[in-house]
Amino acid sequence: MSCCVSPHEQRLLDKIEGKEDIYRASHPRVFKILETFDGMRPIIDVERAQYFTESMKETEGEMLCLRWAKALKHIAENITVYIDEDNLICGRGGVKGRYGLLYPELDGDFLGVAIEDLPNRTESPFSISEADARIVVEDIAPYWKGKTYHEALNAAFPKEVHKLSYDDPEGLNSRFIVNETSSFRSSIQWVHDYEKILKRGFGGIKKEAQEKLDALDPLSPIDNVEKKPFLDAIVIVCDAIITWARRHAVLARHEAETCTDAVRKAELLKMADVCERVPEHPARTFHEAVQSQWFTQMFSRIEQKTGTIVSNGRMDQYLYPYYKAEIEAGTLNDDEALELLECLWVGMAQFIDLYVSPTGGAFNEGYAHWEAVTIGGQTPEGRDATNELTYLFMKSKREFPLHYPDLAARIHSRSPERYLAEVAETIKDGSGFPKLINDEEVVPLYVSKGATFEEAYDYAVSGCTEARMPNRDTYTSGGAYINFVAAFEMVLNNGKMLKHGDEELGVKTGDPREFKTWEEFWDAYEKQHTLFLKTAFHQQYVINNLRARHFAQPMGSAMHDLCMKHCLDLHTPQIPEGINMGYFEHMGLGTLVDSLAAVKKLVFEEKKLTMDEVIGACTCNFEGKEDVRQLLMTAPCYGNDDAYADDIACKVDSLNVLFGQKYAKELGMHNDIRYVPFTSHVPFGKVVGATPNGRYAWTALSDGSSASHGADKTGPTSVLLSNYNSKNYGHRDRAARMLNLKFTPKCLEGEEGTDKMIAFIRTFCDLKLWHVQFNVINKSTLIAAQKDPEKYRSLIVRIAGYSAYFVDLSPDLQNDLIARTEHEAM
Amino acid sequence: MTPQAIQNTTGTVFNIQKYSVHDGPGIRTVVFLKGCPLSCHWCSNPESQSFAPQLAYNANKCITLSQCVRCGEICTAGAITRGEDDTVAIDWEACTKCLACTGACPAGALITYGTTETVADVIDQVEKDASFYARSGGGLTLGGGEPLAQPTFALALLKESKRRYIKTAMETCGHVDREALLTACRSLNMLMFDIKCMDTSRHKAFTGVGNETILANLTAVVEAFPKLPIRVRTPVIPGFNDTPEEIQAIVDFLKRLPVEYELLPYHRLGSQKYTSIGRDYPLGDISLDNDKFLALREISKQIGIAKK
Ligand code: SF4
Ligand code: SF4
Repeated sequence: MSCCVSPHEQRLLDKIEGKEDIYRASHPRVFKILETFDGMRPIIDVERAQYFTESMKETEGEMLCLRWAKALKHIAENITVYIDEDNLICGRGGVKGRYGLLYPELDGDFLGVAIEDLPNRTESPFSISEADARIVVEDIAPYWKGKTYHEALNAAFPKEVHKLSYDDPEGLNSRFIVNETSSFRSSIQWVHDYEKILKRGFGGIKKEAQEKLDALDPLSPIDNVEKKPFLDAIVIVCDAIITWARRHAVLARHEAETCTDAVRKAELLKMADVCERVPEHPARTFHEAVQSQWFTQMFSRIEQKTGTIVSNGRMDQYLYPYYKAEIEAGTLNDDEALELLECLWVGMAQFIDLYVSPTGGAFNEGYAHWEAVTIGGQTPEGRDATNELTYLFMKSKREFPLHYPDLAARIHSRSPERYLAEVAETIKDGSGFPKLINDEEVVPLYVSKGATFEEAYDYAVSGCTEARMPNRDTYTSGGAYINFVAAFEMVLNNGKMLKHGDEELGVKTGDPREFKTWEEFWDAYEKQHTLFLKTAFHQQYVINNLRARHFAQPMGSAMHDLCMKHCLDLHTPQIPEGINMGYFEHMGLGTLVDSLAAVKKLVFEEKKLTMDEVIGACTCNFEGKEDVRQLLMTAPCYGNDDAYADDIACKVDSLNVLFGQKYAKELGMHNDIRYVPFTSHVPFGKVVGATPNGRYAWTALSDGSSASHGADKTGPTSVLLSNYNSKNYGHRDRAARMLNLKFTPKCLEGEEGTDKMIAFIRTFCDLKLWHVQFNVINKSTLIAAQKDPEKYRSLIVRIAGYSAYFVDLSPDLQNDLIARTEHEAM
Repeated sequence: MTPQAIQNTTGTVFNIQKYSVHDGPGIRTVVFLKGCPLSCHWCSNPESQSFAPQLAYNANKCITLSQCVRCGEICTAGAITRGEDDTVAIDWEACTKCLACTGACPAGALITYGTTETVADVIDQVEKDASFYARSGGGLTLGGGEPLAQPTFALALLKESKRRYIKTAMETCGHVDREALLTACRSLNMLMFDIKCMDTSRHKAFTGVGNETILANLTAVVEAFPKLPIRVRTPVIPGFNDTPEEIQAIVDFLKRLPVEYELLPYHRLGSQKYTSIGRDYPLGDISLDNDKFLALREISKQIGIAKK
């Protein structure tokens, strides 16, 4: 009569009953591999850090890019290589199973503490062997003491900036007020030009570098001091990855010799051939293309801390020629193509992004993964780009519901009906894929920021919700995350916060009990807000100047047109012709807007409460003040297509947009407002007391541009419209906006449900919203999984631009997900 | 009527439900009008039956008398008493329906069902989702209660929707003024029409009225508007019409008419609401057997397409 569970939920129930997964028989290889690490606690592998450190000790004083290339060569020659049982694709940076790497150059000052802490951390724990722990503490950490980026940054922040950034003098713990994220990882959301590697190989790039070297003016100071070491680094790094790949070929051949299973033996020999060929040379087959991409991607993870956000790019575009040629020649069928791709997925799934700082761990719960595969969208000429491979990616997502890689479906005004129908069906499957990114917002915006139409049409999704143009973007630093709910609290407490007692943190805007009008209150808020913006931009100024002295990425640069053209490392603050697209992050929009609306309405307009009552109720966390809390909650809320609240949201957004417009120029970048919190709305909430929207003290803030929990009462159409209402479309100084929606399977039931989902997505596209993602799940399933995690180990949920195993999340975040409003069709 | 007069027409609305996907094509907004000529025992919207705004109380939302006594302070009739767990209990006998308490309650535990609204206000609300209607083929659905029990208001709502190019549908129990129904059909893109039982005395026993007007009205609509899509619906109620004979009788009646037919399974989701307005649930503790329903649905398939 009616469907009550999603296919994903059904498969979980089957598993609990001991039934075999319905897709296991058609995907035997990857299911077998998956079972070797499913739900396992990740292990820290120290080899990368060890060899990196060894080499860096030897090269002090040389140009950083060259040192980095030499270190990579040293790693490539010495790191253990592995051929995974049953897998057809090889290349990993650490031990078998789920593993993470260390990057001491970034935040090695945390290492000592972290090695003791990590196994017991609530958010994303890791294991490490005693012998390896000793290597970290005795060999690695001491060298980096005083040399890490994080220490330099901590020392470089002016006092007023530091005060809002860190809790302690060493900067080990964030204040979660104006939080810098540049020390979490070496790059922001990035995407490599994989197509270039498939077409030319690292051998081709090496040749280009050599030709450039030969053409240098032997007398020119710039050519010799700047360009030559850069080009030398490119040659070395190309050799490094080729060496590393060939070591896999040798190992595969070696394993084939002793292999008694004839089928596996043939596979190993084929793998050996492939690894000899790529990524040095252009790929000729689908298998070679996939292997070449994976070597490139994996080695870039070894090169620097990518935060797993170096995305896979537009896979359905750059792999398509290889797929099509082989399908036509009859040398490949869909099942084989799928199997190769899924071998890649399980490889990705085993590499875990290890955040050693507690702040990083809390930001990225559930071992966050963002290696988004982009599908659909438009060609550089602005025509629809979907092809058969596009559909194969979605099929893989439905049948093999691993939560990596993330799948990002580009939507545009002429997306074909079949594409949208399959997108809708995949969403209905219930594991949170794909997320949707809107060409109609991204393309014109990027053109306005300086891209050509061709580049803008060819963007790839990266990170949770970002869009990148592989050869035009040049900006690499993570931006500030700003807790504007804390700014609100500072208005209530004349520049102080409940958590920090008498410490003067914000602007002294006066006792709000004396404010006569809403305008006075808003002025005070604007002052606190502006202080935070100012702090964020000051942070960014320091960061931009500091990073190039600590990071280089010769391999990333080798793949970038502009870096090769100008012989500059990708971490260089300004690269000619590049577009620097940075961002800063607005935390807790819904919480903030609803709190402002409650004060405006109940205190200044209806006068049902005094400011003193509001402050009193928030200070005591509403204890014994439930009536005040309830009254406050009668105010209009963001997320209901209600102009009262949405106008406030738009006004708040315009503070951000206008500040960016005015001051980003001084940073030499676009520094645009973004609403994408990962999982950080939980830790940011932990520093803010109760708020007038009825939120209890220290609980999660609203996430992204979504409404506060339970505040969106008029359904998902209103949620989209509020999002639309709160945007300042007249200005270009905006970046991604994340929007989460939760549906019950019941309201998307059947063909009719699919049709309505398609219409919903088309309207999302019409409204020019940036991003939307869906959880299609019953609340009861989440609650059951929280009670009995063992049984629900493979339950995948969409969190924040990525999906994760529900049981990997901390109880706080689990509760947060359960509390998200569930949209039922009435 | 002038457009101005249409927009200023008022009526009583008890709910506006956005993102409705089960009441007609596409993504829709349902506007529920208050008041109904029938009083079906199974009604899942008992708050829609009476015409006047009415008090409802939900103890789950009451934050307890020790935290808040606003309603007790304002009620002069002594209808607010202490109930279980320190929450309020309404003395429905004593309550004078003055509704003063609903304005005072901060928690939404005491609320008024039904507010007076103008056509302009209602359609402004409906129009907000216009971009979703455009993409999904959805629009406004009038529901109730019985929309045509407030004929002037219902017709004005439909007219104003048409003027703004919003597609319209209406749910009716059929026991309405013939002229009003035919006028409404002129502004409708779809009609959903309930036929509950072919035996008029049983019909009267369970709904309060016989079925003669209803059957004649359906025939009249079909004759006057042969092109209007009509979906006939039967709520299947245990002990009332959940037999093959009952459904077959309706099917036989519908056979000569160009309509779709759909059975709606009985559910008791509305039973809570009876308590909230101080009434007992007339059907007590019954439930519909799923296999039985599926068998009946097979019978219904003799007519057009029945969804689900
Ligand atoms: S509606 Fe009834 S309970 Fe409420 S104030 Fe009036 S008499 Fe009292
Ligand atoms: S006013 Fe509302 S919340 Fe307060 S005691 Fe009465 S019913 Fe309960």
